[in-house]
Amino acid sequence: MNPVIQGLEALVDPTVLLGMALGIGIGMLVGTFPGVTAAMAVALASGFTLTLAPVEGLAVLLSIYVGANFGDRVPAILINTPGTPAAISTTFDGYPMAKQGKAGLALVISGLATAVAILLSMVVFAVAAVPIASFALNFGPFEFFALVVFGLTIMISISSKSLVKGILAGLFGLFLATVGHDPITPDARFTFGLDVLADKLDFIAVIIGLFGIAELFDQMLSHSKTKLKPVSSLGRWWPNKSEYRQMGKPLALGSTIGTIVGIVPAAGGDIAGLIGWDRAKRISKHPEKFGKGSIEGVVAADAASASTLGGALTTTLALGIPGDSVLAVMLGSMIIWGLQPGPQLFVSNPDLVVSITAIMVIATLVSLALNLVRMRGLVKVLDLPAHFLWASILVFCVIGTYATTNNISTVVVMLVAGVVGVVMKRTGFPAGPVVLGLLLGPLAEANLRRAMLIDGPSGFLTNPIAAIILTLAILAFIGTLVGRIRQNRRSATVLAEAARELNTPGAETTSTMNDARTVRTPQKED
Amino acid sequence: MSTAVETPAHSVAERLAEEDLREAHQDSDEVARHHAAPSRILERAVATSVLGLSILGYFGARSVPVANETGGLDPRWWPANICLVAIALSAILLVVSFRSPPFDRDDLEPISEGGWFRLFSTLLLSTAFVVAWNLTGNFVVPCALLLATLVWVYGARGWKTLALFPVVTSGCIYLLFHTLLKVPL
Repeated sequence: MNPVIQGLEALVDPTVLLGMALGIGIGMLVGTFPGVTAAMAVALASGFTLTLAPVEGLAVLLSIYVGANFGDRVPAILINTPGTPAAISTTFDGYPMAKQGKAGLALVISGLATAVAILLSMVVFAVAAVPIASFALNFGPFEFFALVVFGLTIMISISSKSLVKGILAGLFGLFLATVGHDPITPDARFTFGLDVLADKLDFIAVIIGLFGIAELFDQMLSHSKTKLKPVSSLGRWWPNKSEYRQMGKPLALGSTIGTIVGIVPAAGGDIAGLIGWDRAKRISKHPEKFGKGSIEGVVAADAASASTLGGALTTTLALGIPGDSVLAVMLGSMIIWGLQPGPQLFVSNPDLVVSITAIMVIATLVSLALNLVRMRGLVKVLDLPAHFLWASILVFCVIGTYATTNNISTVVVMLVAGVVGVVMKRTGFPAGPVVLGLLLGPLAEANLRRAMLIDGPSGFLTNPIAAIILTLAILAFIGTLVGRIRQNRRSATVLAEAARELNTPGAETTSTMNDARTVRTPQKED
Repeated sequence: MSTAVETPAHSVAERLAEEDLREAHQDSDEVARHHAAPSRILERAVATSVLGLSILGYFGARSVPVANETGGLDPRWWPANICLVAIALSAILLVVSFRSPPFDRDDLEPISEGGWFRLFSTLLLSTAFVVAWNLTGNFVVPCALLLATLVWVYGARGWKTLALFPVVTSGCIYLLFHTLLKVPL
């Protein structure tokens, strides 16, 4: 029988459909709770699905994977706390949009971008799984380190106001990543004999602390009853024609970046989202709107992080190398079912590959529909008084963190990260680069040391892929630096002119005053 | 004749300028009320602290115990180099804090009355909750007590908020995470 028909027929089984419904529900639920990750949910679900047939089990696990990618955007937009690390970049423009009374629009745009990006990445998976994945298989230590350097340059462009503070924040993240065992030798570093530091700092605990708890603490510090624009008005839901048009370019760019990043093993939606957001900002006609509630920013970030699903699935199934942490867990389940992911899977079980593709597509479409309907009820959370929200968010962050390790020490790490985060926020150090440094640190250190031992520094010049990626990283850094210098000069000129003309009464004053007010208006809305 | 024509026009322009100036000052005051003020002292304190921490980190990295002293690219190499770069950058930050105007903080709101009380109370109560949960091994009771105390600190009053909300929320969390998601609370 034709493997396509055979693969699709397998989905007609009621158990498979039930598994998908359950998986989507669980996925969206865990995605919405900050700190409860898809990897954790898939790991928990793996225990229950091992007795099922492979297609039935995969229906549950893959649906959780997809559902979580929709759910994690909701808290990122509404409370500035990414449900999973993949939604970090959604907070950059999603939360400012919510603060401007456009939460409904941000949620719909985010859902649409996520769905389209996953579907596009699945087309790539279906068409070019083996050839694309084989390219990433050629990556060695030089290429990996170059890729990390490229990722780290993003931290500079996402850092705010002070370039130096942004880099320092990134270095802080890289330093935090050295806590625990050395990646090459068994030596312990900065553990101080504490069990909680023996392995490494829990990434989820730090991210919840820096993003969720720090934001909560800052709100507690600065909360007053009179606000300029509180996050309470959701505004309209559906984009207009002009806004749909704005979505096109960042959607295409984000989906492309996300699919490519997803193919690279271990590089997930968090990195893709940051790169996608940054690249979209660079090509945008209105880069100044990024970080202040840009539709393009939301679309690019979500499209990039969501489209890693297809890329990661490509690497996992075609090469047997997990594309991200969720698929690493899923890989274990597949092996227990007697399936060996890799090129052979496409030969021995082509129908299963078709089933997997169909599950991903159906789960995406159902998740999108549920996402749009369910959000109307979920956004009522915003109407809650601050005392309910603060207390509830604090407890959910505690539980979410605890659930990752079942160890109360992890909660302490999260609370400490929260205190550090609020200090950083009040002193102008961005949290994004810290998280990125923490995430990429082990990869950077291990690959750089291996590369230096293998071939020395000259290896970066003799490996063409590494050389190209490093050149791109250097160009990105210089571009950011030059852009910031120009921006500072422009701002200084405008302010100087405004100040000079303020002191000159006459007809020209009115226009200059209007200019001066225009400069301040966006700040007022922040 | 010409003076008679110019005078009213000139006075209108002056009045417009005065109105704009007044409006600009009002705008400025309004913005200042909702944004944290830039602070040179804060920038200097921050730069000095970061410099101190970077130096501490460097010596900490150099004193990491290594099983086999190979030198070169050992486990100390990467963190020590990170700290060296951080020392250089924080020194730049310190110089900048003395020579340039402080960074604006228009993305931050000023600290409100009662803000520090709310923050320190939350930290204290969260610590007490973690200790109580760890010592008793019971999640629900410390969680309900934490929620009740927190909402009271945040200004809520009334039995529904202080009793019903903590009990229902703690119960739901326990059911969801402990019973459904098998998280051993």
